[in-house]
Amino acid sequence: MAAVLATTLVGCTPNPPLSAEPSEGAELVRVPEDAPTINDAIDRVAAGGMVLIGAGTYPEEVTIDKADVTLRGVDRNETVIDGGGIRSFGVFASADGVRIENLTVHSTLFYGVLVTGMHDENGPLAHGGPGYTELDPSEFPPVQRFSIDHVTAYNNGLYGIYAFNARHGSISDSYASGSADSGFYVGQCEDCDILVTGNVAERNAIGFENANASDSLTIAGNRFSGNRIGMTLISNYQEAFTPQRGNTVVGNLIAGNANGDSPAHALGGFGIGLAITGGQGNRITGNRIESNPVAGILLGNAEDIPALENEISGNVLSTNGVDAADVSATRAPASGNCFAGNTAATSTPPGLFAITCPTGAATGGGGILPSAAVPKGMSFLKVPVPPGQPGMIDVEALPSRLPATVDMPAASEFPVPDGLLLADRAAQG
Amino acid sequence: MTGPRRRDVLRGFAAAGLGAAAGVAGGWAAADAQPSEAPAPREGEPLDARVDPHGRHQAGIARPATPQPHGVMVVVDAAELQSGAGVRAMCADLGDAITALTAAEHGSALEAVRLELPDGPGDLTVTVGIGPRLVRAVDPSLPGAEELPRFASDGELGADQVGGDILLAAYSSNPNDAEHAVRWLVDRIAGASVRWSQRLFRAPGRGTVTRNPLGFHDGIIVPRGTRELDEHVWIADGPLAGGTICVVRRLRLDAGRFRAEPEARQEEIIGRRRHDGAPLSGGEPEDEADLLAKTPDGRFVLPARSHVRAAHPSFTGSGLMLRRGYAFDDGALDDASDLRDAGLMFTCFQRELRTFVQTQHRLDETDDLMAYATPTASASFLILPGFTPERPLGDGLR
Repeated sequence: MAAVLATTLVGCTPNPPLSAEPSEGAELVRVPEDAPTINDAIDRVAAGGMVLIGAGTYPEEVTIDKADVTLRGVDRNETVIDGGGIRSFGVFASADGVRIENLTVHSTLFYGVLVTGMHDENGPLAHGGPGYTELDPSEFPPVQRFSIDHVTAYNNGLYGIYAFNARHGSISDSYASGSADSGFYVGQCEDCDILVTGNVAERNAIGFENANASDSLTIAGNRFSGNRIGMTLISNYQEAFTPQRGNTVVGNLIAGNANGDSPAHALGGFGIGLAITGGQGNRITGNRIESNPVAGILLGNAEDIPALENEISGNVLSTNGVDAADVSATRAPASGNCFAGNTAATSTPPGLFAITCPTGAATGGGGILPSAAVPKGMSFLKVPVPPGQPGMIDVEALPSRLPATVDMPAASEFPVPDGLLLADRAAQG
Repeated sequence: MTGPRRRDVLRGFAAAGLGAAAGVAGGWAAADAQPSEAPAPREGEPLDARVDPHGRHQAGIARPATPQPHGVMVVVDAAELQSGAGVRAMCADLGDAITALTAAEHGSALEAVRLELPDGPGDLTVTVGIGPRLVRAVDPSLPGAEELPRFASDGELGADQVGGDILLAAYSSNPNDAEHAVRWLVDRIAGASVRWSQRLFRAPGRGTVTRNPLGFHDGIIVPRGTRELDEHVWIADGPLAGGTICVVRRLRLDAGRFRAEPEARQEEIIGRRRHDGAPLSGGEPEDEADLLAKTPDGRFVLPARSHVRAAHPSFTGSGLMLRRGYAFDDGALDDASDLRDAGLMFTCFQRELRTFVQTQHRLDETDDLMAYATPTASASFLILPGFTPERPLGDGLR
């Protein structure tokens, strides 16, 4: 249709356009050589093409609404989208098949990089959730296929890297710090088919957060250390698809989450490794969870949604305030959670690690957590700048179209990491 | 519809001193449910205009739109009532009596009405509910058959302060009318014994919004208009369509201690500004609270333990409650202290009990206001669908 229109227009125009480009756009558009701004470049690129951004600072809100576009920086540390503390987001992708790679986004008010089908003509509606009535997810089909790779997102007000109402995607080898909500966030999807791997989150209120993202979501081989809370799996009525369920959390390092160089957690959370709040049927295996001064693994309810049937197996827990805690309220007691083959010492209430898999049992709730002095929050704009991060090697080659489904690694590929996992990318030792 | 994005966090950052952000304005998909049509008495309508007792819904819930200034609530036990037929007959009789009271003209021929309401019914309304025991006597699967659970905040509530068989709630501009009407009605219930009763009053306000005994605006976020009432309040289908579930909590409030707090702390506890009722996250009094707005260092602009945040239905996956609370004051609690037996008769209507139950659990866990409230009575009732001269009250109890 577009080609027909173009032909007609050319036929009626006395002076043919100077550019020889087909109306669909170019396969490769370079910024600033071919287009002065990133948004200009996206206008000019063809679906399936690539925008390659040179070193420089770009004060833009970049919107990608064209399918299968790759947005890539030539130098992860020198190609910088700067929110200036006034812009809402750095990169927002609403089209299917988008890749966002090898660049840095910082100092946005809300989102560094956001992939979501929840939007209208004015921009993203995520985050999250409605006021007094719920947004209907059926009105907003999820984005299909995405990849966020080798992206650095720091000092963004709510989330660093954020996939919401999106499926069949991956977030890999990226870094997020200085977020007042979470460094990484995957939310509101069923049969998500999302892989989160090789990432570092530190100096955030929460390192990685999942609310209502369920089923085929694998969180593997990440470093969620040096935040206030390392990671959370939560059910949240403010968004669609409660309860959260069915993730695989494997081979992550979740340590030392007691870092005051971060914005506060709005509900005062601090010193916690992994919190499962109304999460169900998740498999937590082969992780190293240590030196979190309140709790290593925390089970609790989300309103009337209990933590049910989570398998906690083969993890190494040590030097946490308590290694595991069940703090569920009596209105929604945790049950059916099971523990097998963990290296762990302490729990509240006592005896959690004696509950064997696969059947599990009610754990009683009422856990008493060690107290911790919670340091005052730091402005998200003042959190220290992260160290330089390793970039992609070959930035010129046009990548292939993203596949329909993610090639998921086996859990067995992720043994329990040592305490140095991805330490070379982290500011916090 | 147009209007500001609900839950847009821009305002929060602006309030926190970062300056206005260039942002995303525009329609929010759910915003057509925003409470915008403020209910108000019709122009030129006198305050004591007659309220039709008949219709799809009982009076005294959504009509009149501005609740009358006086009321009486009586909770009655009727141990003799054991069968569905008995419950139906009792309800039908009450409905006929209410028709006689409220449809009667000045100088009614009906002797009782002439004695009780010598100047006519004015804007008198009477609302009838039946407690879980009576609902179960009809059919345990009906809405309203479920007991209200005990809550953490219920403390030492005695058995005589919990539940009850029949709720009669009468409201009027003339304080005598509600009292006389409800006594006359109670006398008609065979074997009735009064579990508790309470005279009520209400500060002047517009629609459901009025200042509560703590001096803050209350009743701001409620369902308004037919569509929202249908969605959140009225039972949608089945034999009891048009009815609703009512929860009543007599809350003694330690207003003296609350008002001794600095104004800023009072506002933190409530989550609204004292002078105009606007949420602390900014905007106008009737604007939605912005639950997500944060200060740059990560705190919620609307405080984490404020009443507005604790009671917000989005956290519990609940519908909205139609709240229609009144104040009460029975004077000093005892001679030894400054405490008064005074507070708020919290009264809410919703299509399912869960809405209240999950919210109250959440309040008990996260609401700093609860430290100033002591429940002294707690009950839930099925409010029967409306009635007409042709369709008796309680007709759906089958």
